[in-house]
Amino acid sequence: MSIGVQGLAKRFGGFEALKNVSLEIPSGELVALLGPSGSGKTTLLRLIAGLERPDAGTILFHGEDATRRDVRDRQVGFVFQHYALFRHMSVFENVAFGLRVRPRHLRPPEAEIRTTVTDLLKLVQLDWLADRQPSQLSGGQRQRVALARALAVKPEVLLLDEPFGALDAKVRKELRRWLRRLHEEVHVTTVFVTHDQDEAMEVADRIVVMNEGRIEQVGHPEAVYEHPATPFVYSFLGNVNLFHGRVAEGRAEVAGQEVAMPDWAAGLDRDAVAYVRTYEVELAREPNGSPAIETVLRHVRRFGPMVRLELDRVEDGQVIEAEVPRARFEELGVGRGERVYVKPRSARLFPR
Amino acid sequence: MSRAAGAAGRGAGGGGGGPPGLAAPLRRCLPGRGRAGGFWEATLAPRVLAAYRVSLVTSLVAASLNAVFGLLVAWVLVRYRFPGRRVVDALVDLPFALPTAVAGIALTTLYAENGWLGARLAPLGIKVSYTTLGITVALVFIGLPFVVRTLQPVLQDLEAEIEEAAASLGATRWQTFRRVLLPALLPALLTGFALAFARAIGEYGSVVFISGNMPMRTEIAPLLIMTKLEQFDYAGATAIAVVLLLMSFALLLCINVLQWWSRRQAA
Amino acid sequence: MAGIVTSRLHAAPDRTSALTEPRPVRWALTGVALAFLVLFLFIPLVAVFTEGLKKGWEAYLAALVEPDALAAVRLTLLTAAVAVPLNTAFGVAAAWCLAKFRFPGRSILLTLIDLPFAVSPVIAGMVFVLLFGTQGWFGGWLFDHDVKIVFAVPGIVLATTFVTFPFVARELIPLMQEQGPEEEEAARVLGASGWQIFWRVTLPNIKWGLLYGVILCNARAMGEFGAVSVVSGHIRGLTNTLPLHIEILYNEYNFAAAFAVASPLALLGLVTLVAKTAVEWCQARELARGAGAS
Repeated sequence: MSIGVQGLAKRFGGFEALKNVSLEIPSGELVALLGPSGSGKTTLLRLIAGLERPDAGTILFHGEDATRRDVRDRQVGFVFQHYALFRHMSVFENVAFGLRVRPRHLRPPEAEIRTTVTDLLKLVQLDWLADRQPSQLSGGQRQRVALARALAVKPEVLLLDEPFGALDAKVRKELRRWLRRLHEEVHVTTVFVTHDQDEAMEVADRIVVMNEGRIEQVGHPEAVYEHPATPFVYSFLGNVNLFHGRVAEGRAEVAGQEVAMPDWAAGLDRDAVAYVRTYEVELAREPNGSPAIETVLRHVRRFGPMVRLELDRVEDGQVIEAEVPRARFEELGVGRGERVYVKPRSARLFPR
Repeated sequence: MSRAAGAAGRGAGGGGGGPPGLAAPLRRCLPGRGRAGGFWEATLAPRVLAAYRVSLVTSLVAASLNAVFGLLVAWVLVRYRFPGRRVVDALVDLPFALPTAVAGIALTTLYAENGWLGARLAPLGIKVSYTTLGITVALVFIGLPFVVRTLQPVLQDLEAEIEEAAASLGATRWQTFRRVLLPALLPALLTGFALAFARAIGEYGSVVFISGNMPMRTEIAPLLIMTKLEQFDYAGATAIAVVLLLMSFALLLCINVLQWWSRRQAA
Repeated sequence: MAGIVTSRLHAAPDRTSALTEPRPVRWALTGVALAFLVLFLFIPLVAVFTEGLKKGWEAYLAALVEPDALAAVRLTLLTAAVAVPLNTAFGVAAAWCLAKFRFPGRSILLTLIDLPFAVSPVIAGMVFVLLFGTQGWFGGWLFDHDVKIVFAVPGIVLATTFVTFPFVARELIPLMQEQGPEEEEAARVLGASGWQIFWRVTLPNIKWGLLYGVILCNARAMGEFGAVSVVSGHIRGLTNTLPLHIEILYNEYNFAAAFAVASPLALLGLVTLVAKTAVEWCQARELARGAGAS
């Protein structure tokens, strides 16, 4: 089922959680709502679920207005960050709950409930734990039970609120892969909230980047990463260096370097901020004629094939981060406290 | 009133109160301090058994009423916002703070046949003061805060997510309450019930006035202890007290088990 | 903690259908709950004052200043003046031991503190009669030395002290347990002596809980009926406390006077409720300030 969101707004007391948000989610997609805490991503998810009422705007399910529809009638599966399992019920009963509370004429017979629940538990690879109590499970297992429970009612939309947020790094990684595969299997429209860019990148078909109650950018993971639409997206995804400069008449001057900016040929003269990814800087021991930023190497950390460097700009003490392949670093042969000249290989400019 | 009725009752209990075959051991037991077998005679005499029954039945009914209304009051106080909520919340502790004798005479006067509430109930054929119903009313008064105060923090700490999960799975509000919330509240509810019950069994001050103290009918066990003490029948009084104590300790044990259970469930 | 509570208060009005009931249900439930409370708590409370004033102010005041009533007031005040400080000192000491240390017999001590709650007041009084009555365990010795405990003032004070003994300790134990030993340990590391730690660290931390415990203990001490009734002997002007005086007046069908004498006790109960609310308010404010500072 496709989801449409038009002009959605929500405030909590004096706090504007969501400001005029519009979004289209095609049927069957796996979408990540990505943003820092307080960006409105959870609010958006809860509005889609019907767990909050919007102050303005409409929510469309399959093109039909569902804004006023009760949670119970929305056919959504919701998975909570802290699982929200029913403590006094066994794993089996938790998963069966959604089927057992149906009105009598819609309730499947006991045998059917049994097979449905068993199948779902097999799907989440927990059929051997059916009789356990939730308190006897690990965090990862609990989250999978919560997922099975949400899927039991055959939802048209699956919504997950920071589903792996409360788990440790290793389990989180496993579950990500597993969610991806599960989505391929059941193919239900899925929206999940996360503040972890790696998670969004790895799992989602599309990423919705949110900040301060607004959507900053929507797109495929590579597109969002390679072509950030706003300064916020640039700084939120991946490590970047930030340089202040000026733009005028189709040319920009950043960190002493001239960069051609044909987009801005209109001739305004204004301040700009340049974003440079840590792996998009060129390092040299000598300035080699062309203008470069003079820095001092402060700190070196070796991570697998890459080396991370922390450089202090001589001019104003600004910290510049750089990432270079190990071979390149060995070739450079600099040690701590020595001079290094930095040139951005490419940059993305945003006028201020 | 209570003392006069008690004195009259004492005569009745010795004379025509029960079948003569059973009343005889009671009569023997009254002066019979230190005799072997006196304990069982004192604990099992019909008037004593009747007092246990009155105490147990009224306490049980009162604690059950408290469980129902205490849950309702705690629910309303925690979940809903209405003007005067804080005052009402403070008022719940009144039975803890008001001396029992004061509560006793106030309830008796209100529910007496010419009292403010009693006069309204009399035409319906409902007599409260000087009946077991009156005892129950006093015990409801005494026990209410136990249930409310045990439930309130548990209700406060219930995660909203549990209810949201139930709703997203299609459960109606009533189904959510019955299948999700009530089981989560059950240990606290039972603890509150047991506390109210334990308090009710031992209660004296608020009951003596409203009960009328008729032996075999509205005489509670603590009052019978009092009566026996006044007659210097220490053995008889001790015997009844031992049985009451055993009941209290059994309840204390239940409460401890319940608290252990609820802690385990919370983990 | 305080933050969670306040956010809940704000969240309450706009809860969605997933978290609350339809308005008519809400109103009906609130209505029934309030009706129940009015019937069982509010009306009896009001009745004390209206019945007391039924025969007018003059009769009301006359009942209060009558010699037997004044004697009862004096005895009640005396009893509270002994029982409350004793139980305060004991309660603080017991709570300190139980909350801060682990020792053999700790759970037995905990159970012992709860004992007066679990035992019928009548039985509590009876125990003193069995111990100190003329035929009691120490009765002979007491009689020989011309000491009267049961049916005299010492018995009343003893019984009251026993019955009110858990209030301060029970109020403090959870509070002290929650606070843990860290602050005391920090003070010890900084070189404070035991007394300094108690006066400067422990006491300021528990002052609100202690205050409420003392108020509650006092209310119960002045209002105790069952246990005192057993040991008093009901001697007018000598061993009658206020609740016992009320009983006598009531049994003599002197209802207006009984309620008149009951009204100061009801007022004391109300003051206790107000004090409790105030203490909770102060505590919440202090907690909120602490959370804001850290």
